[in-house]
Amino acid sequence: MRRRKRMLEDLDQDIRDHIERETEDNIGRGMSAEEARRQAFLKFGNVRRVTEETRAVWTRIWLEQILQDIRFALRLLRKSPAFTITVVLTLALGIGATTSIFTLFYDVLLRSLAVANPAELYRLGKEARCCYWGGYSQDSEFSLVSYDLYKHFRDHTQGFAELAAFQASDPLLSVQRSGSVEAAQTYPGEFVSGNYFTMFGVRPYAGRLLTSTDDRPGAPAVAVMSYRLWRQNGSDPSVIGAVFVIDNTPFTIVGITPPNFFGDTLRSDPPDFFLPLNSETLVPEADAGDINQADQYWLDLIGRIQPGAKPASIETDMRVELKQWLRSHWSEISANDRAKFPEQTLFLRPGGSGITSMREEYEHWLQILMMVSAFVLLIVCANVANLMLVRGMQRRREISVSVALGAHAWRLVRQALTESILLSLAGGMAGLVVAFAGTQLILYFAFPSARGSAGIPINASPSMPVLLFAFSASLIAAVVFGIAPAWMTTRVDPIEALRGAGRSTTRTGSLPRKTLVVFQAALSLVLLAASGLLTAALHRLENQRFGFLQEQRTIVTINPGLVGYQPNQFTTLYDRIRDSLSSVPGVSAVAICQYSPLSGNNWATIVWVNGRPAPGPNDENVENMVYWDRVTPGYFDAIGTQIIKGRSISKEDTATSQHVAVVNEAFEHKYFNNENPIGKYFGRPDLGSPRLYEIVGVSQDARYLDFDFDKPIGPFFYLPEAQHDVDPKTGQDSGPGAHHLHDIILVTRPGITVSSAQIRQAMVSVDPRLPITSIRTLGEQVSDQFRQQRLIAQLSSFFGMLSLVLASIGLYGVTGYNVGRRTKEIGVRMALGATPAQAAALTIRGAFALVAIGLGAGFPLALAAGRFLGSQLYGLNPYDPAVVLLAILTLSFSTLVAALVPALHASRISPSEALRAE
Amino acid sequence: MSTKEQKERIELLQGTLDLLILRTLLLGPTHGHAIAKAIEFRSDEVLQVEQGSLYPALHRLIKRGWISVEAGTSENNRRAKFYKLSAKGRRQLDVETSKWNKLAGAIARILRPAEPEGES
Repeated sequence: MRRRKRMLEDLDQDIRDHIERETEDNIGRGMSAEEARRQAFLKFGNVRRVTEETRAVWTRIWLEQILQDIRFALRLLRKSPAFTITVVLTLALGIGATTSIFTLFYDVLLRSLAVANPAELYRLGKEARCCYWGGYSQDSEFSLVSYDLYKHFRDHTQGFAELAAFQASDPLLSVQRSGSVEAAQTYPGEFVSGNYFTMFGVRPYAGRLLTSTDDRPGAPAVAVMSYRLWRQNGSDPSVIGAVFVIDNTPFTIVGITPPNFFGDTLRSDPPDFFLPLNSETLVPEADAGDINQADQYWLDLIGRIQPGAKPASIETDMRVELKQWLRSHWSEISANDRAKFPEQTLFLRPGGSGITSMREEYEHWLQILMMVSAFVLLIVCANVANLMLVRGMQRRREISVSVALGAHAWRLVRQALTESILLSLAGGMAGLVVAFAGTQLILYFAFPSARGSAGIPINASPSMPVLLFAFSASLIAAVVFGIAPAWMTTRVDPIEALRGAGRSTTRTGSLPRKTLVVFQAALSLVLLAASGLLTAALHRLENQRFGFLQEQRTIVTINPGLVGYQPNQFTTLYDRIRDSLSSVPGVSAVAICQYSPLSGNNWATIVWVNGRPAPGPNDENVENMVYWDRVTPGYFDAIGTQIIKGRSISKEDTATSQHVAVVNEAFEHKYFNNENPIGKYFGRPDLGSPRLYEIVGVSQDARYLDFDFDKPIGPFFYLPEAQHDVDPKTGQDSGPGAHHLHDIILVTRPGITVSSAQIRQAMVSVDPRLPITSIRTLGEQVSDQFRQQRLIAQLSSFFGMLSLVLASIGLYGVTGYNVGRRTKEIGVRMALGATPAQAAALTIRGAFALVAIGLGAGFPLALAAGRFLGSQLYGLNPYDPAVVLLAILTLSFSTLVAALVPALHASRISPSEALRAE
Repeated sequence: MSTKEQKERIELLQGTLDLLILRTLLLGPTHGHAIAKAIEFRSDEVLQVEQGSLYPALHRLIKRGWISVEAGTSENNRRAKFYKLSAKGRRQLDVETSKWNKLAGAIARILRPAEPEGES
């Protein structure tokens, strides 16, 4: 290419020199100056042509031709702006929708952590497990570890260059800068081993990150702050070295994480503070685990393997180490756990994406959205193909002239494809804008940043893979919608087209367009059925019997553990909170519980019913886990759950009275099939007694858990806050954490709203240090549970409607075209006595025939889509006939609407005019 | 678009012109105008080359590597581009010359017997 430039640079000069010499020669032969110059030019020939031909020697012909094609296509597109804009916008919708879903798909399912060489990272556990586990056995695999077990693995596994541990749960910390007058605020935090940052290979943005020296008993309390929080608070450099009071303990901030580092897990509330594992003993109330207990598993593991080490052999080593460790604790292991010893094992998995709980949670629904948006893109392509075909018909004459003049078929196809690709790329570029807006909208609705935290670390602005995706989607779309119209152009018969003068009666072009409409109808049916199923499933979820009342209920979430109350002070504290909030005008009742319904948390245990054999190893599984809650007196009235038998928990249930429990109907049904449970006793094997609680009441079933929505409500029991369980081994409270009640339920009088300010004020009068995490209505808390389901139902409904509109436009186009083509035929029919109604019916019949074929083709696909949705339907029949029927009716109705205008047109054809027109 | 026919015609003409250029340069490097003059002169003015067509041909030969180009000064001390036959071009000249001789011979053989074969 550079040679070409050099060679052509002084071509003009060479030619001028040449003519100059010839002129001089001619003068030498005795010509006049003027004549000599004229003759020289004459002899040289056309200078312009010579220049061009010489240039052509150095030009690659195909490149030149492509540029020519592009210039020509641009000129054509400029000539029909309406067509161009319609196509570009339609494509922008299709490509934008697909790209926006792909952005989420990529970020949630494919992206690696922003750390050095993520491929070298391996994590413990096939599946992400949250967040605590106790005892000396774990179901199916050891995926959580205790601090003791972590040290055992770290010190014995040769294959890891660095093995780090970090907290599996995501606690909220109460944080206040030392000396600040502002109230303490809550931020997500995480306890991590000292080598956590070294293992990930990340560098500090400022200051330093944690080291192994920081993570030792007795080391000075230090912490690392997230870049996000630091920025949010004005990028104050004095933060480094400053003391922050975290859960009543002073910590010195030593550094800031790099901007793109969001911890080990993709989640909507990434940690803002990283604390060394050993500082867990300084803040024992932080809901972490217990660093000194060997059988408290609350840590996840990620390690960086030695270069060249084999993950499989590391896994084998670690399995052996696990067994060694368990044997070294043999004396502490219960009989049940000993029985499970042989099957204890573990698995290593690639950890470059970190802990992938979110991936598992969202995988299926992202796949669904990806499919749905791909279908929309296909429908968009069909619509554009349709427009291109119409355009091809309009350009028939022009093309046949080209063919008559000897244009090659290949060149014409290439010309048409160039046009498609240009349109598609323009559509793709506009689609990026749509995608950016769409992604942001979806992120906003799907992951609202809760509790003042960072929000999901997903960026809506397109990354390189997203750009590549959009580009390839555009190219593929161009081929999909452009190839048929391009091929059609080659089938133009020049004579026929010219003779017909644009009113050709050939059927060419009709069949492909009809096929497209059938295809669109089929795809639309699938999308409509799928979105109908998802919407119906959502409706069922939202309108199920929850077993509590949502109206007039507000939940105030607090964390009393954070400000250093002792176990024996809680009951008094809760009484004071209740009194203070009850005095707020408009509040009719107040009760407090550990976790309110659907708040996303609950404790669970194995139940041992008095008079039955103690649960054996085979009984200790997830299916037998019974969830429970601690509540204050008046709780059942406040939450609106009815007591069916016996009594509810009352003020008479004190620390010293008989320990009691209220169970739900499912509990009664499972453990006391035909007996009356009132007055019976049950207990827990881990506390060594079947006689811990006397059942005093049975309540209706209420939905507490935020999973298993497709299953009936399971067994559940309630314990009074005032009564403490005692661990028979230590004589201490076996679960003081259960007395940290988090949720205050306020019942307000009808028609009255109590403001947050009033609530905060009432809480300040109890204890100004008590951090309030959130205030929201119970209705909001419930509907938040179905946020994803709602979003996916809404998105797929939107896509379904979009596809329906596009398909209708396609159908309208084809029907209208057919009426135009058959004007003469209809005119003849009417001359022979057909009524206008018959003419209209003829048209509508044609449209319905097409859609009927589409329905036939789409029906099995729609059933398959129902199967694919599967678990997202929460027990709704995936072949729900009502939904499928509704989808068919919707499609038929829009067919009717689309065919109506052309049908009216057909009924108004005047026979005489139609015949004269030919 | 009748580019194909035109191309064939150009190629025929251009092949001959190429041969003439190569043959001229065998005598030594020279500039464009001199080549045109030499062809006219050596053919006793029979071959009237449209001088412009020389340039596409020269560039084609450069692209094929048969000739090279260098800066120099012409007879009256003017700056000019001198075209020079390369080793590859020299070999090509042999090939082209023998091809031309064969062609000329063949055509001559076809044309010669035409007279005696007439009504005698």
